[in-house]
Amino acid sequence: MTTAILEARGITKSYGKFNALGGVDLRVMPGTVHSVIGPNGAGKTTLFHMLTGTGTVTAGTIVFDGKDVTREPDYQRVQRGIARSFQVTSLFTHLPVRENLRLAALGTSPRRAMDCWRRPLGQLACADTVDSVLQRLELTRVANAEAGTLSHGQQRRLEVGMALAARPRAIFLDEPTSGMGIDDLAAMKHLIRGLSADHTVVLIEHNMDIVMDISDTVTVMQQGKVLMEGTPGAVRNDPRVRAAYLGNMITGGGK
Amino acid sequence: MEMLKRYRFWLLALGVTLVLPLTMRSGTLATEVLVYAMAVMACNLLLGYTGLLSFGQGIFFGLGSYGLGIALTRLALPLPLALVLAIVLGAAAAALVGWFAIRQRGTYFVMLTLAFAQMFYFLAYTTPDLTGGDNGLLDIPRPPVSLFGTELGSLAGPWQFYGFVAVLFLLVFFLVLRVTESVFGRTLLAIRNNEERAQAVGYNVRYFKLMAFVLSGAITGLAGALHAMLMGIAPLTNIDYHTSEMILIMTVIGGTGNAFASVLGAAFYVLLSDWLSTLWPRWLMLLGFLLIAVSLFIPRGLWGLGEMLWRKMGREPAKPIGQEEQA
Amino acid sequence: MNVYLLQVVNGVGIGMLYFLLAVGLSIIFGLLRFVNFAHGAFYALGAYLCFQALQLGLNFWVALAAAPLLVGAFAWLTEKVMLRHVYALPHEFHILVTVGLAMVAQELIITSWGPLGVNVAPPESLQGVVMWGSFVYPKYRLFVIGFTALLAVGLWWLLEGTRLGSAVRAGSESTEMVSLLGINIFRLFSLMFALGAATAAIAGVLAAPIRGAEPFMGVEALGVAFVVVVVGGLGSFTGALVGGVLVGVVQSLMSTLWPEGAWLMIYVAMAAVLLLRPHGLLGRG
Repeated sequence: MTTAILEARGITKSYGKFNALGGVDLRVMPGTVHSVIGPNGAGKTTLFHMLTGTGTVTAGTIVFDGKDVTREPDYQRVQRGIARSFQVTSLFTHLPVRENLRLAALGTSPRRAMDCWRRPLGQLACADTVDSVLQRLELTRVANAEAGTLSHGQQRRLEVGMALAARPRAIFLDEPTSGMGIDDLAAMKHLIRGLSADHTVVLIEHNMDIVMDISDTVTVMQQGKVLMEGTPGAVRNDPRVRAAYLGNMITGGGK
Repeated sequence: MEMLKRYRFWLLALGVTLVLPLTMRSGTLATEVLVYAMAVMACNLLLGYTGLLSFGQGIFFGLGSYGLGIALTRLALPLPLALVLAIVLGAAAAALVGWFAIRQRGTYFVMLTLAFAQMFYFLAYTTPDLTGGDNGLLDIPRPPVSLFGTELGSLAGPWQFYGFVAVLFLLVFFLVLRVTESVFGRTLLAIRNNEERAQAVGYNVRYFKLMAFVLSGAITGLAGALHAMLMGIAPLTNIDYHTSEMILIMTVIGGTGNAFASVLGAAFYVLLSDWLSTLWPRWLMLLGFLLIAVSLFIPRGLWGLGEMLWRKMGREPAKPIGQEEQA
Repeated sequence: MNVYLLQVVNGVGIGMLYFLLAVGLSIIFGLLRFVNFAHGAFYALGAYLCFQALQLGLNFWVALAAAPLLVGAFAWLTEKVMLRHVYALPHEFHILVTVGLAMVAQELIITSWGPLGVNVAPPESLQGVVMWGSFVYPKYRLFVIGFTALLAVGLWWLLEGTRLGSAVRAGSESTEMVSLLGINIFRLFSLMFALGAATAAIAGVLAAPIRGAEPFMGVEALGVAFVVVVVGGLGSFTGALVGGVLVGVVQSLMSTLWPEGAWLMIYVAMAAVLLLRPHGLLGRG
């Protein structure tokens, strides 16, 4: 049995008296697509914050690739091979798309970014990474436009790109398709599906079509705890999951 | 030609250093413009590039003045060492204040810089043995410039000293330009735009901010030292709130978009204050109104105003930083 | 009477004034999310209006009532006309605009009342001392302690016990929610801004008979208010109270032990608190 690339145990997060997460265990196997679903307020994004280091846990341990990263802040976890996209688009809006990606690419060797003399040319331009990500995102056309001027769908793709540019081991995507129209949706689904070839993908999604179609494992959360975990098929048929979603049919997914 | 375009701001600065002696009668006033221009550039490194509004620049300016004063009058150090001491003091104070202040964000950060500014002011006030207290350090000399023991030139005359300061100013301007266009400078801009994102892609934002702070403190310390030599005195006012306030105002009025705008801001303030203060002692009231007006209506400052006029005449304005190189 | 006890009581009095200064700042920050750098100017205006009232032959009590009303009205107007346009801009501009305002106010003060300070006498009914066994203490300073304690209770009731207070506290969590609930958020902002300015003005009026009025008292007060807020914790009412009294007592004790260092020690104390508890003694973080 292969070892998990990410092992989170007993993750608890409280904000004052409010318990956002009440002891969550998560094991993500390498090279898989692992989705986290659940109704609003389940704590999915909070869990992400804990896993990526955007916030610190109140209790629990997180082991990534064999190393305990529980106390490491997000900028350090990037060096370990963890990268994320945000649910609410968070880009460098005044900077060109290319510059956004360059910054994300150079973030894996931040010491080089402390160079006070050299301009971001040559090695420091990370052109190979940036160009390949641009191609993958189908954003080559708008490479020199300010990120803030992109359409919503393009911005959501760039969000994913910011994580991609770090060439991470595990990529965490928080509702990548949120707010997207049908046209953009297909492109995003294609993009995420393609990611699983080179990365471990951890995904929060509300779009069940995508979740059921491409996931290897699905974890269902409710009110800060894990409700159940299993293959897409098992989750779809589970009565507890149905009840959690108030009896709505979880549609979508091919096989 | 490509080189000329890249360094066009530096060439503008060079132009200013050549124009000032031709158009002004007072060498002291011209030197003051350059001295404050350096302090303003340092302040803009924080405000325009890192997004940090610091009310503490007076700390570094004053410490630079005191440092040089003590070095020259008490320790009898040679001039280069005295200047280095001032720079080191500025950098060290910036590291200290920065370490405390940068742990906080937004307005809390600003408040802390002001509180620390007050602290250093009272510190200077209560150590008259070091700082001369209310009177300041007096009789600060201008030793001649010498290299390996041979005297190159005296700095006694106002325009001789101006030349000395102009060389340092152009050097500092060049360095600031390189820093702002470097990878480090680009990272600062990203931090200013979206701190959370910068942190999320792998940059230790606190550390970058601290580096910017230290750099700013070092340059401001140098400016303070030169000011002390210019006036012959390191007064208590160089470290008080008013100095911090004025440096910030010069930064905002000039414009936060580039280093040359800082020169504009400094020139504007120094020349205006020289002209108006004799006419109307309460001219600061006008400055207050101007600050309000600039914040509300012309956020890009004098430089931005110039750009608007340039555009009205049908030309293309200079591209903002971040869009220049298309590697 | 024991010198140290005297200084502690003095410190409490001054500290209560510092509390008044800080609580206004904290309210404005809590709701409007910006720090008003003209806050010290409102304090100075309060003190000078008190002086002017006395010059005009009116009594202290009229000044105590009128000054906060006048300053509050001025603040309300300023917020409506000018500051409202700044909310959408990044916080640097809020600060810079209020700095400009503070500068204009300071120069206006110097134009109207001269660059040197002025003295203000306490009202006749409060002149002299109170004697209680071996405890001898100026009547006016006792009055300040009592009056500010009453004000503190009043403000506490306003913030915790009324609908207005609930709206303010809710607004500091989410302005969107509050306006969706039908409360005119803009009017609330103006009102709270005016209230903050008025409390600063009252502090100025009360402080005038103790320390007189001088043009740079605004900057000094701003620094102290910041220290109190840092020590007590931003956004905390009790923090402002605890911080204010603490700062006042430290300053008063120091003025006996090391007079020149009194101001310095306040700021050093602030740095110490920052080191040990970055969010202040009672801050929420």
